[in-house]
Amino acid sequence: MLTKEELEHAKTVLGRKPTETELGMLDVLWSEHCSYKSSKRWFYLFKTEGDKVALGIGEGAGLVDIGDGYLAAVAMESHNHPSQIDPYNGAATGVGGIIRDVISQGCKAVGLMNCLRFGHPSKPHNAYLLENVVRGISEYGNSVGIPVVGGELEFDDSYDDNCLVNVICVGWVKPEEVVRSSAKTPGHHLVLFGSTTGRDGIAGVSFASETFSDEEEDNRGAVQVGDPLSKKIVIDTLQELIEEKLLEGLQDFGGGGMTSAAGELAKAGGTGVEIDLDKVPLREVDMKPSEIVISESQERMLAIVAPENLDRVKLLLEKNGTPYGIIGKVTDDGHYTAKWYGEEKARLPISLLVEGFPVPERIEGKIAAQPESMSWFKEPEDYKKNLLELLGSVNLCDRSWVYSQYDQHVQSNTVVDLGENGGVLEFPNNRKLAFTSDCNSFWCLLDPQQGTANSACESLRNLVSMGATPIFIADCLNFGNPERPESYGQFVEAVRGLGRFSNDFDIPIVGGNVSLYNEAEVDGETKRINPTPQIMIAGIFEKGFTPIRRNLLSPWANIFLVGETLPELNGSEYQRIATGQVKGVPPRYRPEIEKQSMNVIQEAHQKGLIRSCNNVGRGGIGIGLMKMALRSKYGFKLNLDYIPGTANSLAQRLYSETSGRYLAEVTESNQAEFLKIIEKHGSSVCELGLTVKEPVADFGIFSLSMDEARKVFSNGLKQYME
Amino acid sequence: MVVAVLRFPGTNNENDILRALSLIDGAKPILVPSRKGLAGLKDADGIVIPGGFSYGDYLRAGAVASVESITEGVRNLAEDGKPVIGICNGFQILSEMGLLPGALLPNDSARFVCKWVYLRVSDNTTMFTEGLEGSLIRIPIAHAEGNYYCSDDELESLRDEFRIPFRYCNEDGDVNDAANPNGSIDNIAGIVNQKGNVLGLMPHPERASRPVLGSSEGLAILENFVRATKC
Repeated sequence: MLTKEELEHAKTVLGRKPTETELGMLDVLWSEHCSYKSSKRWFYLFKTEGDKVALGIGEGAGLVDIGDGYLAAVAMESHNHPSQIDPYNGAATGVGGIIRDVISQGCKAVGLMNCLRFGHPSKPHNAYLLENVVRGISEYGNSVGIPVVGGELEFDDSYDDNCLVNVICVGWVKPEEVVRSSAKTPGHHLVLFGSTTGRDGIAGVSFASETFSDEEEDNRGAVQVGDPLSKKIVIDTLQELIEEKLLEGLQDFGGGGMTSAAGELAKAGGTGVEIDLDKVPLREVDMKPSEIVISESQERMLAIVAPENLDRVKLLLEKNGTPYGIIGKVTDDGHYTAKWYGEEKARLPISLLVEGFPVPERIEGKIAAQPESMSWFKEPEDYKKNLLELLGSVNLCDRSWVYSQYDQHVQSNTVVDLGENGGVLEFPNNRKLAFTSDCNSFWCLLDPQQGTANSACESLRNLVSMGATPIFIADCLNFGNPERPESYGQFVEAVRGLGRFSNDFDIPIVGGNVSLYNEAEVDGETKRINPTPQIMIAGIFEKGFTPIRRNLLSPWANIFLVGETLPELNGSEYQRIATGQVKGVPPRYRPEIEKQSMNVIQEAHQKGLIRSCNNVGRGGIGIGLMKMALRSKYGFKLNLDYIPGTANSLAQRLYSETSGRYLAEVTESNQAEFLKIIEKHGSSVCELGLTVKEPVADFGIFSLSMDEARKVFSNGLKQYME
Repeated sequence: MVVAVLRFPGTNNENDILRALSLIDGAKPILVPSRKGLAGLKDADGIVIPGGFSYGDYLRAGAVASVESITEGVRNLAEDGKPVIGICNGFQILSEMGLLPGALLPNDSARFVCKWVYLRVSDNTTMFTEGLEGSLIRIPIAHAEGNYYCSDDELESLRDEFRIPFRYCNEDGDVNDAANPNGSIDNIAGIVNQKGNVLGLMPHPERASRPVLGSSEGLAILENFVRATKC
């Protein structure tokens, strides 16, 4: 709802009281979700420009040059609140919305990703949310025919009352076919097409900009309902409209519905719009104009069409059987005018409606300092049992229960499937791109700035280990209520962390979204999510390079650990399993070391020296090694006594989450050259041991059979879901 | 020869099929939106009904598409002995049309499943498996309703008439329960009609048509299909 201050501001600017319709419009466009009124002031910290960036943050999708006359596109968004209320429809329409963002730029959508957070699945309600979110994503994305190529899943009690559903869509477009989201020429027509307008999703963004109370059920009407069949038809129709170059501008109907879509087109074009709400094709006959103008019904697009093209556009829309309406015109008066059978229901200056809100004061609270001490740390009594426990824990175990429900291969471009360090797609210029996303919310809870930068490093390592060079970032920043200093402080620190990373590594951020108010009142107490700055990075492979997987490929090869290992177990999975919580200073962000290791791996990949490679992240080298062997025919035999760095016990070496480390399988004949590269870059390295023919994980002091490990690993999540 | 690739509203594998067919000498693939009706098929020497979610699969997979007027054209071509392949949703449509026996039920797991599987090709040759007899094919599946079912009598005649060219198996070629991804009776992944010119197949040969995708072992099925359009 509008604050008192905002209402007064609107009255002063208008010189009158806003009408009912106008109030609804201001309410949605000035919501946190649409306006970024608490967050936008910090975006200057991000690196957003680069030689290859063709279109940065601000429209539906970011566009980046990938050579040969093609641009890659990316959009990322949250659908958290709707998914908590109605997981199936909330998640499905999240996918629908992100696809619209990409296709509204004239792009072909070729890949989806989703990053999910829930409370522990042992609680039935969390398992219910997970089951239905996954089903929503699966049934929608599979039907529309866009493969899922990546994602992430993390569990923590802090998400019990606020699950997170972040979605990403990637695509491509030729520069000459890009459609911009602006309405530049007065007299052009506004054409709504794709679906009818109903009461679903009325003011969805406003409810997403508040914290949850006990009356969640009352908000069910604020959740949109997806229709993948209509979306597929919209995609096919749009392709025809774009091929014939019939559109002057295009915007999808997302959060804020028609108010946002038309308002942003006018704002970008420096024009105005006049809309006849009675011309909107309706799903329910008795809708009020104030409802039509803010409905978030799905699968709708708003096109700007020049008068000379209107007949052709109508013909194509009719041929494809898509509902449409010629609902108004672009004007030169700088106003958003909405009429109902000729009667003026709203007339707002665009400059007031879009970004004309009074900037609210927000207070950045200080983050509590964490102790350096690792006094909680003990070696496990039984190493084998401990490793199995970690392997089967919900944040490390096998995710195939989730991703086997997603179509990963439709469109026939998928080079690397899910379950690897990143998904890889082939683009029409025959270049392969890898996509990965990460966020370690436990590190971010303990130190939002370092945790964010370090989470981004984990994404970076995922790409580098496959042989890809990072080219762009998209993000989705999920936090609590910005009106609370302690929560706003976490947000600002995380933005600083991401800003540092993007500048340190010179990777532009081209898309993103902010989701605040992810907290709930539970028994009179505030329950806030862990800070969750979800970071997605895309990388590109050299022409002809075959992406490197993490599965061990040969017996009698050496396994090397690149980078030194510090006693950094605060914030680690080992700490969580051992003590039930995270505490202390999490692993540090060390950009120089990170770059050193990156350069080693990149050069070794260029020379074709590495057979398989894995990033060391959550769960340390213990889990990293297991993941290299679990889907391979081979095992390994190691000696962990000589690991460089200051970690001084077996468990510290196995489970430290120090950044800047990689595991690499190098055959005997390539060893000398590999070590030369290490030396050249001044990096640390250690030969951990050998791959062996037997499916066994032998760590020296203890060992386990791969069958045993596989059983625990694959059952970790499944046990709660089947 | 002209291969008509049908697109119903909601079909989403049509471009994959067109691309895979474009790799095959002599194939002239054309996209035929179903609204074109019978006229859309007048030049066709063969038909592919691709996968996807025709009409959103809103009533039952393939059920709405199976009563569209264009299916009359499919029927006519099939009766003329021209090759017809239905893949995934296309298989569901062909069985809803009654061109193939049995039905495709929801998977045993009650969930959509996407993964790589192995197929054991029958030793007895069909129009679509020439040169592949007895071999093993690595190929992806992606469906929610791929659990093939038919009556005991129908199964008996499918077996007796050697009309089960493809069965799910493990990587060693063993056809067993553990290798059955959806609960299909007798591990059936694909069947042909009595004449042998209509194939229904749940796995996606077009997704295993280039080495970069992880397998090109599906292409041979489409090559056989194209060869048959010339007969």
